Amino acid sequence: MATDLRISNISKIYPGCIANDNVSLQFKSGKIYALLGENGAGKSTLVKILSGVISPDNGEVFLNEKNLKLSSPLDAKKNKIGMVFQHFNLFETLSVFENLSIDATEDNKSLRVRINEILKKYNFSIDLDVPVLNLSAGQKQKVEIIRCLLRSPKVLIMDEPTSVLTEQETEELFISLKKFCDEGILIIYITHKLKEVLSLCDEVAVMRKGKVVSVSQTQNEKVETLANKMVGQKLGKIKKKIKISKNKDEIFKVKHLNFYSDDPFETNLFNLNFSVKKGECLGIAGISGNGQNELFQILSGEIITPNTSIIFRNKEIAKLNPKQRREYLMAFSPEDRISQAAVPELKIYENVALNNFKSSNFFEKGLVNERKIKEHSKKILSDFSVNTDNVELKSQFLSGGNLQKLILGRELITAPELLICYNPTWGLDVGAINYIHETLIKINDQEKSTILISTDTEELLKLSDRITVIYKGKLSKIMPSDEVTPEKLGILMGGGSID
Amino acid sequence: MSLDISFIGILIGSIMASSVPLILAASGELITERSGVLNLGVEGMMIIGAISGFALMVITDNLFIAIIVSMLSGVIISLIFGFLTQSLLTNHVATGLALTIFGIGLSAMLGRDFVGIPGKDFPILFSSLRESIPFFGPILFGHSIVLYFAFALPFLTNYFLKKTKLGLVVRAVGDSPASASNQGINVIMVRYCCILYGGGMCGLAGAYLSLIYTPQWIENMTAGRGWIALALVVFATWSPIKVLIGAIIFGGISILQLHMQAVGFRIPVQFLIALPYLMTIIVLVVISRDSRKIKLNTPTSLGRIFYKEK
Repeated sequence: MATDLRISNISKIYPGCIANDNVSLQFKSGKIYALLGENGAGKSTLVKILSGVISPDNGEVFLNEKNLKLSSPLDAKKNKIGMVFQHFNLFETLSVFENLSIDATEDNKSLRVRINEILKKYNFSIDLDVPVLNLSAGQKQKVEIIRCLLRSPKVLIMDEPTSVLTEQETEELFISLKKFCDEGILIIYITHKLKEVLSLCDEVAVMRKGKVVSVSQTQNEKVETLANKMVGQKLGKIKKKIKISKNKDEIFKVKHLNFYSDDPFETNLFNLNFSVKKGECLGIAGISGNGQNELFQILSGEIITPNTSIIFRNKEIAKLNPKQRREYLMAFSPEDRISQAAVPELKIYENVALNNFKSSNFFEKGLVNERKIKEHSKKILSDFSVNTDNVELKSQFLSGGNLQKLILGRELITAPELLICYNPTWGLDVGAINYIHETLIKINDQEKSTILISTDTEELLKLSDRITVIYKGKLSKIMPSDEVTPEKLGILMGGGSID
Repeated sequence: MSLDISFIGILIGSIMASSVPLILAASGELITERSGVLNLGVEGMMIIGAISGFALMVITDNLFIAIIVSMLSGVIISLIFGFLTQSLLTNHVATGLALTIFGIGLSAMLGRDFVGIPGKDFPILFSSLRESIPFFGPILFGHSIVLYFAFALPFLTNYFLKKTKLGLVVRAVGDSPASASNQGINVIMVRYCCILYGGGMCGLAGAYLSLIYTPQWIENMTAGRGWIALALVVFATWSPIKVLIGAIIFGGISILQLHMQAVGFRIPVQFLIALPYLMTIIVLVVISRDSRKIKLNTPTSLGRIFYKEK
């Protein structure tokens, strides 16, 4: 039976922000619909309303012309609307089967039979009795999808599903989604990745600042037209000139980096050796959870490993803590902006003061020199085009993009010789990503070096001079990035071999 | 001191009796914590259970009513905690501490007229078997029904958490309340239930002290057992069976060190008094070394305030 989902005049207003402004859309089964927009465009609010997590201030949802009352996730489930969230809604410490059985109405035995049928039908291979925390992101997503399929949904909503997947996993996902679509499930696909829209979806609705700005057939669209609709302005294209500089000095050299942990949440690292030349960007690709966290913490000095040699500007720094490493002109931008890079409850200038200890005279005789810090902070805010000049603002009120600019600014204003960053553009919108990419290229142009650990292949190919892949705590060989293709990276990131 | 076999039997029996309040309170708190709620009010709930049970025994002269009322009063006082933390979203730690202080004060006030009144003998089961079988008699028989219940409780709790649907829901809520809520589970309701259950078990633990173990009312008679129960839950890494082991070790060494003091071992008394705490921690740390298992048992959201998106 055909499904027809209609959203009529939905509005949702939060204090200081209109998340959805009179949104009306119509979807019919047999097609895959894209909902495209930058962060904060209101896509997630809309799908949360559709899945009953939040209720709209205004407007109605109709499924096959029946007016739905979606006041809880249960209502969405009853009405056969399935939802796979961007941040997985799984219980990490429970087994896969327990996760799936929690809202099942049948007994465990017949549930297991049904799950196995789904696994077989769609060619998923997942061990049902391991705890979810042992699964890869792609497998976790499959568990979420199975959970939806168990309720034979009419509508399946996928919220930014590929942000944690490899190229291969993404392809697999697309094949499954097309299969679901053929079986009559209406699919709504939320993303800010333009290429995915073009390769997967039949129709695309673009949202900007809470409003639907365009609805069109994807066959009439191109990457550029969609990007401009999404951002509302023309974007410059960034392409770095790759430098392979054989005779440049190695400024940073890591030897025999090993790391062992019995914590099941941590990944061991096995004999990593690599070096970075002056003015070069070394990209480290990989799916998250393959040891990037541990590697970053070791490079920044949060974890000290025995028998490792790290040479930086001809000095052995393997035993130094992060503060000492900073004094040798290293800088760090961790993945988690909120909990690792900045203290959200502190004001902007207080966050700036956190890591400039020695050179900047922020502290005199143990006292805080507020005037100096504030001046310095103002300079960062203007130099790095952070969207505020109020240094008294608490950092938690900055958007992700602005916070990242502030952090990069704080790190770069000391003119470091080496910047190590981990997923610097994670979760940011196109405008902010562009700015940060430009900044990172500028650093290399000034003969400073960068190590870019990232899960975003496109970003790595754009910015790196040489690329290596981390998989289960081991590095692949280091390749010049003009010899690397997304496909090659995808194979290496999935544990394959390209030779 | 004669270390004959029947003496050891009696000793083990008394160790079992002394660990009962710890097992009850810790098993109750374990369920509360598995749902992600940290209730530091265990001591307060226990002492309220102790005074209300004793008072009702004196007033009605009926032990059954006394036991039921002690559990109910534990439930009621934990309801205050539940309302504050789940409905008004107050901080778990501060609210729990306040609950303990409140409970101790309230019990002292309510208990003024009950000091010095002698308790009543609590009926014991299989008392004839206790006398007739050497060694095993005093261990297995001649206890109150509450003791048998307490020793079954960790196994029931384990079964509940691992094998039942409801137990799965409790664990899920403790793991990720946001996910649970998005799956349509009423997180606040589940947590209320777990808090009230914990309160009921703490009330029963208090009643065991004032009605069975030392049948009388003394101000502040729980004497820190609530805190020990709380510590047991953490050191046992939220595993009911390890709670049982920890409670027995603690009760055992508490009794043994009394005997050692009486016999006059040349060990400083202060050390002997500290011994139960020390040994319990050491043993539980040693048996809980598997960091993988700890991760799987630890309620990830413990002590965090959950509020629903609107």
